Amino acid sequence: MVSPIRAELRKLLGLPTARVALVLGTLLAPVVVLLNAPYNRRALAAGTLPDPTQLGLRELGVGLIGALVLGVVVVSSEYTSTGDDAPGARQLTATLTAVPHRLRLLAAKTVALVLVVAAQAAVTAAGTLALTQALHGEYVPMPAPARVVAVILYWVLTALLAYAITLITRNGIVPLTLLILNSTVVSVSYLLTKVTDLAAYLPDIAGAHMFLRTEDFPVELAPVTAGLVMTAWVVALLAAGAVLFHRRDA
Amino acid sequence: MITIDRVSKIKGKTQILYDVSFEARPGRVTGFLGPNGAGKTSTLRILLGLDRPQTGTALVCGRPYRKIDRPLTTVGAVLDGSGAHRARTARAHLRWVAASNGLPGSRVDEVLEVVGLTGDARKRAGRFSLGMSRRLGLAAALLGDPAVLILDEPVNGLDPAGIRWMRGFLRDSAAQGRTVLLSSHLMGELAETADDVVVIDKGRIVLHSGLADVIGAHRTLEDAFFALTGTEAGGPW
Amino acid sequence: MNTARAELRKLLTLPSLRWTALLTWAGTALLAYAYGVTQPRGDATALAPLGYAQAGFLVLGVLAAAAEHQAGGQIRTTLIAMPRRLLLQAAKDLTLAAVTLPVAAVTAAISTLPAGGGTWTPAATAYLTLTTLLAAAVTGVVRHALPALVLLLSLYFIAGPLLRARFGAFSAYLPDTAALDQSRGAAATITWTVTALALAALTFNRRDA
Repeated sequence: MVSPIRAELRKLLGLPTARVALVLGTLLAPVVVLLNAPYNRRALAAGTLPDPTQLGLRELGVGLIGALVLGVVVVSSEYTSTGDDAPGARQLTATLTAVPHRLRLLAAKTVALVLVVAAQAAVTAAGTLALTQALHGEYVPMPAPARVVAVILYWVLTALLAYAITLITRNGIVPLTLLILNSTVVSVSYLLTKVTDLAAYLPDIAGAHMFLRTEDFPVELAPVTAGLVMTAWVVALLAAGAVLFHRRDA
Repeated sequence: MITIDRVSKIKGKTQILYDVSFEARPGRVTGFLGPNGAGKTSTLRILLGLDRPQTGTALVCGRPYRKIDRPLTTVGAVLDGSGAHRARTARAHLRWVAASNGLPGSRVDEVLEVVGLTGDARKRAGRFSLGMSRRLGLAAALLGDPAVLILDEPVNGLDPAGIRWMRGFLRDSAAQGRTVLLSSHLMGELAETADDVVVIDKGRIVLHSGLADVIGAHRTLEDAFFALTGTEAGGPW
Repeated sequence: MNTARAELRKLLTLPSLRWTALLTWAGTALLAYAYGVTQPRGDATALAPLGYAQAGFLVLGVLAAAAEHQAGGQIRTTLIAMPRRLLLQAAKDLTLAAVTLPVAAVTAAISTLPAGGGTWTPAATAYLTLTTLLAAAVTGVVRHALPALVLLLSLYFIAGPLLRARFGAFSAYLPDTAALDQSRGAAATITWTVTALALAALTFNRRDA
């Protein structure tokens, strides 16, 4: 099992798009903290910042796009045509020739993705929170370790969400559009929570509850519950993706 | 009539073509021969206006490709792949190509017939096999009934019947007065098809003359080729 | 003329464009309903769904432009058939605009009419169409669908809101402000689109295929 995982890691880290996503996803959050520093400093001193304890954690959301792209690209790269001569040929053919047992292949891909995204999340969380401490330490206490772990978990689950949807749709356009759209300040899911309380159980809304406290949501989910809800979504979508992958023609 | 005059091309930091000059005359099949990476495709792309050379000119019937009005009625080009988008049907592909040069829709059915793809017209190009893709590319090239045919590895992917058909088709085209330029590295095939041969190696033309002259002292075109290009017979690629 | 007719055929026979249009309409209808149920009637409610619908129009532009560069080598066929590149680029832009306009009009109508914002429909249609052209121009330079899409979506939905929140003055210069704040931003959208189209045309003309 180790060989397929190593192969998938090599494949992922060899993709230019993945590398860019890795680097940008890691740098974005700290950069945003830096850019916002003057404004935040003033607001903290004046006591006008809405929720100082969440400073740093909130900014981490910006880097999520890197995790999203990684999740998409792990799958979409298998489905891009390898050449002009026979556009039906895809990298997937070579992959399945090397590792014909499809579920084992998916498991290897999933593990590789989780490793890369978890590492990226850990690095960017550490960097962003350390930076926040350095800049605003007097006003912002260091978040509890459990919350930091929750953030990393949220990143990994988001990447897996993108990954699962791409497995189902076989191209990256749909998951990228949906998920980036949803990561906006006023996401579609958030909008739907106004319409129906059920929307609070959508994966990204629920997931955010793992480490953010906001008064705006109609239903308050305890962090652990939130984590379970998001994991349930991811597992369901992954299962659907796995079944389709297993049964479809390559 | 194709005239290539002192064409040089630099790609990135590497020079890939050095002062390439040769002619392809009407009524003859001119074979463009060379090892992989010698510059055959690069030369053809410059000829067709896809890439710009640093120096030199490449003219078809006395004009640069980009200046020819309705070029498909003068030149038909077959490069690698089908040239069609994966999701489009063969017929839809040929219809837009025909429309681009003001050619009537009836030509689409005619060329499909010529290359033997009538039954596959409604299939998406992404589902085509290698040989079918080549034939679709040829069909598009024939839409305008052009006087000049330029083909890059035309028999690549064709089965024996297809190869024989192609050979006959190209010889007939030349006999009808067309200018036919084809690049290949299939020696045996070229020996059966070409009248004139141009040999290119590492971006330079090493020989340009009639087939009989090229073979000359050597027994076959293959021997002549290896002697001229200095590649080791049987060595690594 | 011929070039335009060929480009039109290409757009109309690309299945992914139809799907994008349909999904955008469906999504806009869903959002219009959500806003209609939770917010009072008025201009803000009429235009809010468009903030999201514009993503569909970005996708439309990306897919239309990227189709030339996917495996199969269609860009070569296109350039061999129509080698005059500036003319070709102009024909591409015009036909894309022509095809996008009705899609944009329907989207604008779905969004604005239920909330009583009918006066905004023409402006919204124009905005959405320009958005598609901008996306197509960017994709023409980048030449790959996924990176172009990530770039555009990041600009519109991540960088844009961040910049707006922090530096209010930036608003007038971002391409998507027109969707959010109708009184300003029209000039920005037009400028961004025209610049992108010009840049795309220039690179297309000079580059190797």
